[in-house]
Amino acid sequence: MGASCQPVAPVSVLGVEIAEKAFEGAPVLRDLRFDLAEGEVAALLGPSGCGKTTLLSLIAGLDTDFAGRIERPEGALAVVFQNPRLLPWRSLAQNIALIPGSGGMARARELLNAVGLAEAADQHPEKVSLGMQRRAALARALAMRPSLVLMDEPLVSLDAENVGVMRGLIRGLLAESGATALITTHDRREALALADRVLEIGDTPARMLRDRRSPLDREERRNTEDVEALYRAWFSDPARAAE
Amino acid sequence: MDSPLSRALWPVLSLGGLALVWTGAALLIASPVLPDPLTVWQAFLREASQGYWIHLGATLLRVLAAFTLAMAIGSAIGLALGRSGRADQLFGGWLSLFLNLPALVTMILCYVWFGLTEVAAITAVAINKIPNVAVTLREGARQLSRDLDEMAHVYRLPWQQRMRHVVLPQLAPYFAVAARNGLALVWKIVLVVELLGRSNGVGFQLGLYFQEFDVAAILAYAFGFILVVQIIEYGVIAPWERHANRWRR
Repeated sequence: MGASCQPVAPVSVLGVEIAEKAFEGAPVLRDLRFDLAEGEVAALLGPSGCGKTTLLSLIAGLDTDFAGRIERPEGALAVVFQNPRLLPWRSLAQNIALIPGSGGMARARELLNAVGLAEAADQHPEKVSLGMQRRAALARALAMRPSLVLMDEPLVSLDAENVGVMRGLIRGLLAESGATALITTHDRREALALADRVLEIGDTPARMLRDRRSPLDREERRNTEDVEALYRAWFSDPARAAE
Repeated sequence: MDSPLSRALWPVLSLGGLALVWTGAALLIASPVLPDPLTVWQAFLREASQGYWIHLGATLLRVLAAFTLAMAIGSAIGLALGRSGRADQLFGGWLSLFLNLPALVTMILCYVWFGLTEVAAITAVAINKIPNVAVTLREGARQLSRDLDEMAHVYRLPWQQRMRHVVLPQLAPYFAVAARNGLALVWKIVLVVELLGRSNGVGFQLGLYFQEFDVAAILAYAFGFILVVQIIEYGVIAPWERHANRWRR
């Protein structure tokens, strides 16, 4: 067990160099630099309001007003927003099918089946729970076979049962698709449960505090449902203890 | 809870009551200036055999033309102003100006500039309605969800799909309001335009019967037109609105 077991792909998919991002003159992010390798799943860990969503918006290209440089992958980029942002006037299946390159309704139903929503495929988003909407949004993100998936607090506001379901789906579907992923979270346990690597940001303006690989490999994480054990494993890691 | 039958019964009883009050007032006054409902019905039957439908058809065609023109142009202007702050700064004042321009002035100017033609009549009506549509749709465009806009951007939806799946459904309630108000306004203005400068249509007929003091014929035309507009409301606009909003809880 440990970082040495992790398969590290040499190809960098995402390169982030943010010198500064400010809102109305007030800096929010400063001196943030990191790369993500192909297939790597990283958690962007930090307290609420520290700028994680802002950083995700910059990477997604939704906000271009910053000093620095971001190298994005050639292929598709998908975002799983915290608010699922499904079209309320379209069914879950239609929400997926209308994404260019998604493969239409047949594949939309396959993907919904993969996230356990086969029965709800023809329901409208407002008629299903937040957990189901999040799962549909995850299916939509994977529909375009993205090279990079950005997820903004995918487990926040879900009940314990849905957290478990969603966590399993994220791990399984990302592993299956081979996509690189960056997942924001304010929860260290969640970061450890989902990611190969944890990028911890904080302070004002937010800067990189720590950039560490998880002490557990993917197989170990998949087989370990007790997140507390992961948490203890992280703290028992000598490198962490030395910090 | 009210059954559908009792819900329908109350308006019918209410309208019946109004007809009774009207009949009573007509009997009390006993003058051609306030004919009773039966006299109006007889006037309707007389007019129906003498070109009533041709005049009604001419008016409806003008309403349709002016309404379509006003909705198309007004929606485009409203969307542009709602989406672009700079455009709104530049042209928002124009909207206020045209909103406050009296309808009669527009009609007279159009007839003076373009002559007593069909184009002038329809243009005059459309010009009166365009600012109302633009203001309604500008508000709709301002309320468009930024979240969904970003989603469409991230997932690279082509602009046609964005319009069809993201923008237009959000604007549906605003289109319904603009259409409903537009219809109510347009048909009233069309009657005045016809009264001033056309040789057919319900407005022209109303002017004719005003000169003859034939109140029964005037009411026959008015009620016929109200009936047609109600059919459009309940047969076209309301079902479309229900269809557009069927996804809501």
